[in-house]
Amino acid sequence: MALAAAQLRSGWRLSVPMALAALAGLMAALPLAGVLIAALQGESAGIALRDILRYAATSLLLALAVGLATGFVGSIAAWLVVMHRFPGRDVFAWALALPLAVPAFALAYAYADLFDVAGGLRTWLRAGPGFDLPFGMRSLGGAVFVLSCAFYPYVYLAMRAAFLNQSVNVLEAARMLGCDGWQALRRVALPMARPALAAGVALALMETLADYGAVQFLSVQTLTTGVVRSWSVYGSTASAARFALPLMAFAALLLWIERRGRIGRTHEAGNARWRALEPRALSGAGAALAAGFCLLLLTAALLLPVGWLMWTALEARPDWPRLTGAGARSLTLGIVGAAVTVLLATTLALGTRRLPMAARLASLGYATPGAVMAIGLLVPAGLVWTLLPGSGRAVAIVLLIYAYAARLMAAALEPIDAGLTRVTPSMTEAARTLGRGEAGAALAVELPVARGAMLTAGLIVFIDILKELPATLILRPFDFDTLAVVANNYALDERLGQAGLPSLLIVALSLPAVVWLTRQIAASRPGR
Amino acid sequence: MAMPILSVRDVSRRFGGRQVVAGASFDLHPGRIACLLGPSGCGKSTLLRMIAGLESVDAGEIALQGRAVSTPAGLVPPEHRGVGLVFQDFALFPHLDVAANVGFGLAGMEPAARRERVMALLARFHVERLATAWPHMLSGGEQQRVAIARALAREPALLLLDEPFSGLDGHLRASVRQSLLADLKAAGTAVLIVTHDPEEAMMIADDLILMSSGRILQTGGAEDCYHHPVSIEAARLLGEVVILPARVEQQVAHTDFGPVPAPDMQDGPARLLLRPEDFRLDEKGTAATVVETAFGGAHHMVGLSVNGLGIAIRLTKAPPAAGTCAGFSFRPERARLFPG
Repeated sequence: MALAAAQLRSGWRLSVPMALAALAGLMAALPLAGVLIAALQGESAGIALRDILRYAATSLLLALAVGLATGFVGSIAAWLVVMHRFPGRDVFAWALALPLAVPAFALAYAYADLFDVAGGLRTWLRAGPGFDLPFGMRSLGGAVFVLSCAFYPYVYLAMRAAFLNQSVNVLEAARMLGCDGWQALRRVALPMARPALAAGVALALMETLADYGAVQFLSVQTLTTGVVRSWSVYGSTASAARFALPLMAFAALLLWIERRGRIGRTHEAGNARWRALEPRALSGAGAALAAGFCLLLLTAALLLPVGWLMWTALEARPDWPRLTGAGARSLTLGIVGAAVTVLLATTLALGTRRLPMAARLASLGYATPGAVMAIGLLVPAGLVWTLLPGSGRAVAIVLLIYAYAARLMAAALEPIDAGLTRVTPSMTEAARTLGRGEAGAALAVELPVARGAMLTAGLIVFIDILKELPATLILRPFDFDTLAVVANNYALDERLGQAGLPSLLIVALSLPAVVWLTRQIAASRPGR
Repeated sequence: MAMPILSVRDVSRRFGGRQVVAGASFDLHPGRIACLLGPSGCGKSTLLRMIAGLESVDAGEIALQGRAVSTPAGLVPPEHRGVGLVFQDFALFPHLDVAANVGFGLAGMEPAARRERVMALLARFHVERLATAWPHMLSGGEQQRVAIARALAREPALLLLDEPFSGLDGHLRASVRQSLLADLKAAGTAVLIVTHDPEEAMMIADDLILMSSGRILQTGGAEDCYHHPVSIEAARLLGEVVILPARVEQQVAHTDFGPVPAPDMQDGPARLLLRPEDFRLDEKGTAATVVETAFGGAHHMVGLSVNGLGIAIRLTKAPPAAGTCAGFSFRPERARLFPG
């Protein structure tokens, strides 16, 4: 029997999708190697280990407190909205996710100004009722409050999805086995949602560690402010990298927690029969309490600070050319960055079905704060700048987009991956037996099915890029200001009225995307 | 004899430490419908996937129309094999309507010719009215027909079906199966169906391939396999069996139900293989105690005890009441003797 040797191919080979995925994964990991190299070589600008430890302790304390606060507030809000009926519930269900559109630094500006010791509110309190508030916003406690307001939506969205995914059958089984409603929540619903809680809190913590604008403005010295300041004030990449090292360790730890959460997530759907939960109607005091809680949360995280920023912005004389220029740059960076990131995340998603390691590299990138990413990129950037001296501006913009992509690839990967689960292995194999190669099957079946998920991913990345500050500060070319950078510069000059305007522009640009996303999440539940 | 469409020679596959397929061999000829029958986990789906080119082989060779397509050295990729595969879950593409699903494999074709071919296929499987429907709107039976039409679009020499009827409702199954078989026969393609349902396999197959624990036990026609199993293990794959311990002395096997001729058998212990329906009430037969009875519609299930041996038989006539004694015998021409 003739062996058609030319047609035969060995069983395992590196296919195009796998190679692309490996490349994308390595892209996300490259800056981390840059940080290590920078930390090991070069002169430190006299930064003592003691300082690093002090900053690390502050970061850890901040992370712990924000983790606790977002965990409680986000879970309670999700539990109220999914499992109960009360006045305003349908509005709260999506409105509670809207603070995602507000950058943390904007909340910091608003609250610092509102509760400023010399500000209008306190002056009035001292003069009128004759007492003073016993706290200041420019403190660790203030930072905890501001960041919790900014990041609780991550927990809220994760827990809401988890509660929505739970089949009523399981809860009814618990009731039949003798649990009352409260016990069913404590013994069944919460344990089932625990993986989502871990994942949501891990996201909030990653954002907390990555934040620069808010903590910097509130004079709380964290590792991330250490990274940015040792670079911007001392011009030392090496000492910035040394601040970055413990951040990378925290990031790896958070990633491990989030991964463990994901392992358990298979508990949620899996059930053959899924029936929607019938929410319990609240009345009287219960309804008032539930609605009050949601309203308070929404006021603290969105209405009050954004309202205050609007109020102060009314008095400011806007520098329109500067604002529109920055707006155009933010928008362009957001769109180009989202496109590049989604492209990379898609190749990663297609490839990781065959090469799981690549996704893990990418998620390490997501856990890593943007400032660390930027410092890591300065090493290869330095190389390019010495080789091509005239290319500074273009290379800087490319690097900036690279930093966004490397950091946000994992965030984009998640929805795309979820979208691709609609493609069963047998569908891909069916495409193969119908005459498509491995790459052809990916283009003809996997990509079109994941189209909606790619849009979702793009919007998530777009919102994150609009709000991004530290990486942009470090990598942007001179004079290339985004809205976030303009806001930061005004805020540094204590011109809060002016800083409010670019912050509000960011909110205005990302709000439609956030609304669209929250509707998507509500619509994508099993049983549909 | 003409060249087989498919030839599987000593094919083996190991997953981790488990030998999933061990030295499997069989042939499939043009226009025939073959059933690969075996219990869950016997390796039959793996063998099917190896034939489709979705799994590699550790040893042996798979040839299609005389051309080696799978050897330990390498594989012809699935897209270049000319084999159609219908998946157990049908695997219709959710983003394409029925017509586009069926036309998926005809990418190189001119649009008008392609549309014509798609409609002809849909008509052959009686689903032309569903051309613009979306997969999630179809019933299980409709999805199956679309999946088969899609797999046949490229006119494969061989069509593979993985548990095609397992997703269908019981009362629909028989009628769907019969009309589908007629349509497949009309298409003229060689068909290999994987199933774990013996009754289904025997009704469908021109050729049965019995598989257990990764090995092929027997191949042949349904009646031949049923009445002349090569081993007790092969017999069990096709339905309930009754095993009577026997002793061979001078070419005669002695059992509790009397002697049976045993030509060419060595003296010593043996096992006599029968089917439950091979027994009947017989006044002159062996006396046995009726232990239990149950009414099963077309027949009665009867538990008997003979000299401490318990067996389960099937009778078409009403059995004596439980607890009573009666005479029973079996049809000697149905008995098969195995050493043991």
